[in-house]
Amino acid sequence: MDVSKKPGSNGQIPLLPIALAVVAILLGGFVIGATTGAIFPVQASTAAYAIDQLFFVLLTIGGMVFLLVQGLLYYSAIRFRVNDQDTEDGPNFHGNATLEFVWTGIPSVIVVVLVFYSWSVWNQIQAPQPNETTVHVLGQRFNWVFTYSDPLGRLEQNPDLAQTFTSNQMYTYVGQPILLQIDALDVNHAFWVPTMRIKQDALVGRQTELRFTPTREGRYRVVCAELCGGGHGAMYTYINVFPDEETYLREFVDPQVNFILNPPDDPVLRAPTVLANYPCSGCHVLDSLGWVGIQGPSMNNMADTAVRRATTYNAPSPEYYIAHSIRWPNDDIVPGFNAGVMPQFGASESEPAQVEGAYYRYMPDEDLIAITAYLCTQTTAPESPCGDLEAIRVAVEEQR
Amino acid sequence: MASISVPLGGVGATTAPRPKLSEYLRWSVDHKIIGVQYIATSLFFFIIGGALAMLIRAELLTPAQDFMVDGAAYNTLFTMHGTIMIFLWIVPVLAGFGNYFVPLMLGAKDMAFPWLNAFAFWLIPPAGLLMLLGWFIGPAEAGWTSYPPLSTHFSPDGQTLWAISLHLLGVASILGGINFIVTIRNMRPEGMKYFQMPLFIWAVLAQSVIVVLATPFLAGALTLLILDRVAGTAFFTPSQGGDVLLWQNIFWFYSHPAVYIMVLPAFGMISEILSVHARKPVFGYRMIALSSMAIALVGFTVWAHHMFTSLQPELRIPFMITSMIIAVPTGIKVFSWLGTIYGGRIRWTSAMLFAMGFISMFVIGGITGVMVASVPVDIHLHDTYFVVSHFHFVLYGGTVFGVYGALYHWWPKITGRMMDENLGKIHFALTYLSFLGTFFPQHLVGMQGMPRRVAEYAPEFQAMNIIISISGFVLGVSTFLILYNMVWSLYRGKIAGSNPWRALTLEWMTTSPPPPYNFVGDPIPFEDPYGYGTEASREYLKAMDERFVAPMLNPALRKRPDAQLPAPNPSAGD
Amino acid sequence: MQRSNEFPFEFDRERQQQRQAEIALKNKRMGINLFQISWIMAFVCLSVVNLVMRGNAPSWPPPGTPPLDPVLPTIATLGLIASMVLARRAFLAIQTDKLSAFLVQWRAVLGLGALFVAVMIYEWITLTPTLDGPPNQFNTIFRLMTAFHSLHAIAIGVYLIWVLRRAAQGVYRHADFWDIEAGSKLWYFVVIAWLLFYAVLYII
Repeated sequence: MDVSKKPGSNGQIPLLPIALAVVAILLGGFVIGATTGAIFPVQASTAAYAIDQLFFVLLTIGGMVFLLVQGLLYYSAIRFRVNDQDTEDGPNFHGNATLEFVWTGIPSVIVVVLVFYSWSVWNQIQAPQPNETTVHVLGQRFNWVFTYSDPLGRLEQNPDLAQTFTSNQMYTYVGQPILLQIDALDVNHAFWVPTMRIKQDALVGRQTELRFTPTREGRYRVVCAELCGGGHGAMYTYINVFPDEETYLREFVDPQVNFILNPPDDPVLRAPTVLANYPCSGCHVLDSLGWVGIQGPSMNNMADTAVRRATTYNAPSPEYYIAHSIRWPNDDIVPGFNAGVMPQFGASESEPAQVEGAYYRYMPDEDLIAITAYLCTQTTAPESPCGDLEAIRVAVEEQR
Repeated sequence: MASISVPLGGVGATTAPRPKLSEYLRWSVDHKIIGVQYIATSLFFFIIGGALAMLIRAELLTPAQDFMVDGAAYNTLFTMHGTIMIFLWIVPVLAGFGNYFVPLMLGAKDMAFPWLNAFAFWLIPPAGLLMLLGWFIGPAEAGWTSYPPLSTHFSPDGQTLWAISLHLLGVASILGGINFIVTIRNMRPEGMKYFQMPLFIWAVLAQSVIVVLATPFLAGALTLLILDRVAGTAFFTPSQGGDVLLWQNIFWFYSHPAVYIMVLPAFGMISEILSVHARKPVFGYRMIALSSMAIALVGFTVWAHHMFTSLQPELRIPFMITSMIIAVPTGIKVFSWLGTIYGGRIRWTSAMLFAMGFISMFVIGGITGVMVASVPVDIHLHDTYFVVSHFHFVLYGGTVFGVYGALYHWWPKITGRMMDENLGKIHFALTYLSFLGTFFPQHLVGMQGMPRRVAEYAPEFQAMNIIISISGFVLGVSTFLILYNMVWSLYRGKIAGSNPWRALTLEWMTTSPPPPYNFVGDPIPFEDPYGYGTEASREYLKAMDERFVAPMLNPALRKRPDAQLPAPNPSAGD
Repeated sequence: MQRSNEFPFEFDRERQQQRQAEIALKNKRMGINLFQISWIMAFVCLSVVNLVMRGNAPSWPPPGTPPLDPVLPTIATLGLIASMVLARRAFLAIQTDKLSAFLVQWRAVLGLGALFVAVMIYEWITLTPTLDGPPNQFNTIFRLMTAFHSLHAIAIGVYLIWVLRRAAQGVYRHADFWDIEAGSKLWYFVVIAWLLFYAVLYII
């Protein structure tokens, strides 16, 4: 932009080349800025539009600066190159106050503009929306647990029943303004949906909030963006955006509410919903439920595995082994895996949050019975090697 | 080989004796020995940190976690890579150049506190050893930022060693910082005013101010971390009343200024190299000098921009404002450098190529820096590969390119021999291209949704990661070119003479390598350290060479007792 | 070029050495001052930690923890301030070769310092709940700050004792008193660091 005022030009200012260079830099900046849309993933929330627009401006200005600096640099390096053996000096030229004022002033103005623009975008994306739905999410190594209440208030009429339901994936619909309350159980995590351009750290001991409104139907990856340990890369889940509220209620909320209102008697049928309350799928593989975690041992054919491990570990029965391994995960470490990674799912609600060697979470006996019964069905044999439901109940109660 | 050295009057025909190897292996209070000790030690850690980076890139060739046995082992890789590169490579190598050249550029016989100087250096090998010993008891795996509770309740004992090691390194840099400030303030030659100091000295001064004021905060944070780990306190454990953000605030209050600790001296190196090799005075000398100080001061007010996704929302905007403001003095520097080379007579020496490469890469880091300073954009980009890319453009494309340039530029002074220029140019070309190939695509994967610090990532990023990894391997290999060149030049390099680049600053007004007492008598600085293009400067160079430096090469005079004046006060450094 | 065989510079060895000695003293003075400025930041850091913890806590001190009793520490603090004045006077005394006055005042500094450290150790141990009791943030940060400060006081006190012994042997006189200057400046540091902590712990 100010090539003319630089030293070294021999008296006359070559206007045409400079004008061309300025035009090239300005246009080039726009071309670079225009790649914004091509680079970013799809825009799936209101914030995405505002942030992409801001990024476009930043990239355009940045692109112009880039072209100006690289252009001058390459031009100088080539145009003013001399032989290595040259012993002449360049001109004794110390500076130019006008030029220095210009390149202090223009960036300052740009910076002020960017500050105000960013500020307004920030106010826009974090502004509270009318009719926000509050969803709670708990980050724990290495999975997320989302907790919802019934938007139609059906559960409130039955105060004896659970008032909320949980899932390991998030469900919402296009246009639903969401207030996400974020907690972390063990270490810090960060809730990030790249397609929605939203991110908020989950901090231990400090609840944080995140507001967003999905604008696009689909299934998008939720990524943990704060280092949380060995399974950090595997700590992802999905946010499922239904096209409208009706579908959302029909596909997600109603079955959950029905399950609470009319729970099936068979614990095996209850298990998948019960399991959604816990982070198991973050670390274990279980094909029948679509788990893909790798930090812990596989749960496929768990009943058969339990028969083998029960022998080495001197457990009285496979169901005892399964229940015990959930209540006391560090007692028997499968070769190749580390102690202290799996939280201890204890039977007492009042246990301190921090126990020796592992994190503690409360798991009622009913839940453990359902989970154990479900894992007992995971076998290649025609019949489960475990005992019957009563044996499982006894085995679970022995773990207290 | 293209000879750049047209040494004046045949001085290059003889070389001054080099210190013996054994002198580098033991305690010495000579700032030049200490400087080389710093540089050699940090190069050793550079290789280790680089090897870790190669392992990281090997793991990331596939989206699954396959190469490393488990995720925690992968976490130790980047934790140690980051810590080693920052605290055991960049910081000490810059301290090494500062040690070697600050007294020389001031025409002084040594640093203000030679004993303290040696003590500060000798803290580094044990600290580095402690850091590496972590591998035998379970190394730190919470990232170089070590956010609790991951670093308190979920990290093995190596994390404690990590903290103790950083404590020692912090003490070393505080002692070094005090030493630099006192040296620069008190030991300037008569007649050199502050605004006649070389810009490298200005940069070291600004850096030392940050070191002295910020590093005690690191000491405080690490003390709390160690107590939480070993003494059962709960400063960072929320269930017992602690606060996880407390660590983030104190840590970044040190660690953001630490970024300027790591980059300011490189700014100084670049200013030297560009001016000397373009044979043109530094454009806007005062603005460059003052912008260093401005960066040092504003740098203390920006720390929380590392916490835009964890900080309380209402506090984010103020930190965005200060973070954006700091772009202005940085921009002034870049434009001043361009003004310096524009219209000069540029020799494409290896040093100059790296200095120009610095501008080329650093400006990208600067632009992305403004992007991530903007709160809404950073909400998306925070903790992604975009940030990884940003700080590598600043610290590798910036500082490491600067250090490479400084090595080519000052190696003749340190060893008395030139490095091979052809090999140096190949090194530059390979580094420049493979650096771009490694780090530029990281912007894109970061924007598309790949978080940092993961061993496992979404399959759609694999193609890009393969490009990054292969470029990374080339970048790793290219490092060995300069290491080979350094060793080769010791034995086969062209004899450099006292002033192969015909530079005006005082470090060149002595033999290469300088004698233990640096100068016989006190050198007289030229009125303008970058006064190229004047008759006076040419006469000054000629006069200094003939009347001041040449006698120092005369063995008879080297032995004169007058020449053997001790460095001021070598023992009472404390 | 012809190489001169004569040494081209005049060399006044005595002047050179004198100048070096002057610079060395100037360096040491500035070095101590910078160290004071730098290391006080560690104390500032702990003070900030204290204030942040206080801001986070629902009540401070936490329920069940009695507030600090300021009587003994305040007396000790007054003693510490007096010791700073005495250290200054002792430093001035040695510059005019008043060795006996120096020794008396320096011993008084050490005595007051020892008293202060003893009081802080007493406070540290008797703080309720005691060390065996349940940990709480209030006690932890109090113990950390006072221990951190007292360790500095003890380390510098040991240096002051070394200076005292040397002074008693007659090592220092008006032309050579660097150790005493360093000792007194380090002692000012101890006092000022404590005043910062005192303000944070007992006043604010």
